[in-house]
Amino acid sequence: MYRKQVRRRRAILVLLVVACLMLISISVSEADSGPLKSVQDGLSSVLSPVQEGADRALKPLRDMVDWFDETFEARGENEELHDQVATLQQEKLDLLDAAEDAGYLKTLEKLVAENGLESYQRVEASVLNRNFSVWYSTIVIDAGSSDGIGANDPVVTADGLIGRVASVTGGTAKVALITQQGNGVTGRIAGEGPVGLIVPVIGAPDELDFTLIQGDKEIEDGDEIVTAGFSTGEVKSRFPPNIPIGEVSEAIPAEQEQRQQVSVKPFADIADLDLVTVLTGGTS
Amino acid sequence: MIITPPILARLVLIVFLSVLVQLGFFSQVPLLGSVANLIPVVIVALGLLGGAVTGAVAGFAAGLLIDVMIGGTMGVASLSLLTTGYLAGRWREGYDIVSSLVPPLLTGALCGVAALTYGLLQLTLGIEAQISALALREVIVQALLGTLLAIPVYPLVRRLLRPALVDDTARSRSRVSPTVLGRGGLRLSAMNTSRSR
Repeated sequence: MYRKQVRRRRAILVLLVVACLMLISISVSEADSGPLKSVQDGLSSVLSPVQEGADRALKPLRDMVDWFDETFEARGENEELHDQVATLQQEKLDLLDAAEDAGYLKTLEKLVAENGLESYQRVEASVLNRNFSVWYSTIVIDAGSSDGIGANDPVVTADGLIGRVASVTGGTAKVALITQQGNGVTGRIAGEGPVGLIVPVIGAPDELDFTLIQGDKEIEDGDEIVTAGFSTGEVKSRFPPNIPIGEVSEAIPAEQEQRQQVSVKPFADIADLDLVTVLTGGTS
Repeated sequence: MIITPPILARLVLIVFLSVLVQLGFFSQVPLLGSVANLIPVVIVALGLLGGAVTGAVAGFAAGLLIDVMIGGTMGVASLSLLTTGYLAGRWREGYDIVSSLVPPLLTGALCGVAALTYGLLQLTLGIEAQISALALREVIVQALLGTLLAIPVYPLVRRLLRPALVDDTARSRSRVSPTVLGRGGLRLSAMNTSRSR
């Protein structure tokens, strides 16, 4: 009896592990329009209203946690700092008011105009939910193919590039962030500088590496990095050129020489995304 | 664990709700520079209460659901969570839970294992990228948060599955059963059990 149970348990375990490995293998090797991907997208679109409902239902709980967080933070301040904090808070409020006046859309308008992205349709969307493990950074937004969004469309905030649309359903889209392991973006130093590849740093969600640098010009701290948007025959970058990505935070000459790599801090606050814009269509 | 259709429905509901709560709440509340992950905590609880097969199947199902909902590489979360559930179940089958500290501590350790497995699987599938030392911190923080989450979650899952738990059913029966030979004497339920054997 016991042996039979053990055999049954082993059989189930082997079956599940084989199923997982098959899923991984198919998922990695098949194209974006493959059957497994289609099933995944179909199930996702079926489940997205439930997910959306749960998200709304749990919002008061999240707000409560935020409230506690802010309250505890406020209690932790000592009396000596109260005056200073009051001044800083006033300044912060002024800045927030100013930012509100300027508005997300206005800032975005500036980003679009400055970087020649006028040919793209812009779809504004709110973040529905996010998965910010250091291994896997994705967000789900409340706009999808019915809004004109397609797979691989670039996603930006008013500060700069945050990722690309990984998959899309009728009313939602999943965005693979530039900090997600597995993503790479061809970038260049603004102003026709060296070209390279922007890759994530595993374990540090607010840090990127600019690597495989091609070009002789030395890179310095503070240099701005934008998307390169290359196009060679049939091969074309997923991102249009000139979208700001981040600035060089640490450029050690020896490391540049040996590993052709510098550290980059993304412009967008990727850990705190609320409103994003998808650039669809476009001709460049 | 005795799995009947109502218990199976409860198991499905527990897994489904834990995924929804994870995506709708825990994923959006940063804690100690990371986010708490409820799902491995629930899977470990199911493994500890239901055994290796229950833990592995629940882990596999939860992983599939996560991959569908967040659009990840199918199978990665499943493999990581089924390992976690299976290990929890095997531990339960080999050892008794002698202290109330065991479930949280074991959950913490297995949450660390889940984070590490998930990370290693992602690394083998992704592009070549530098690994920051902060990745190790993530594993430790996940273990710590898992330990803390297990304190309320394990008893809650146990309560939800109580009708199916053999130990709990036997204990609750023996609590109300009459005894012969006075206090500390033989329990009728124990006698009945030995007779039925």
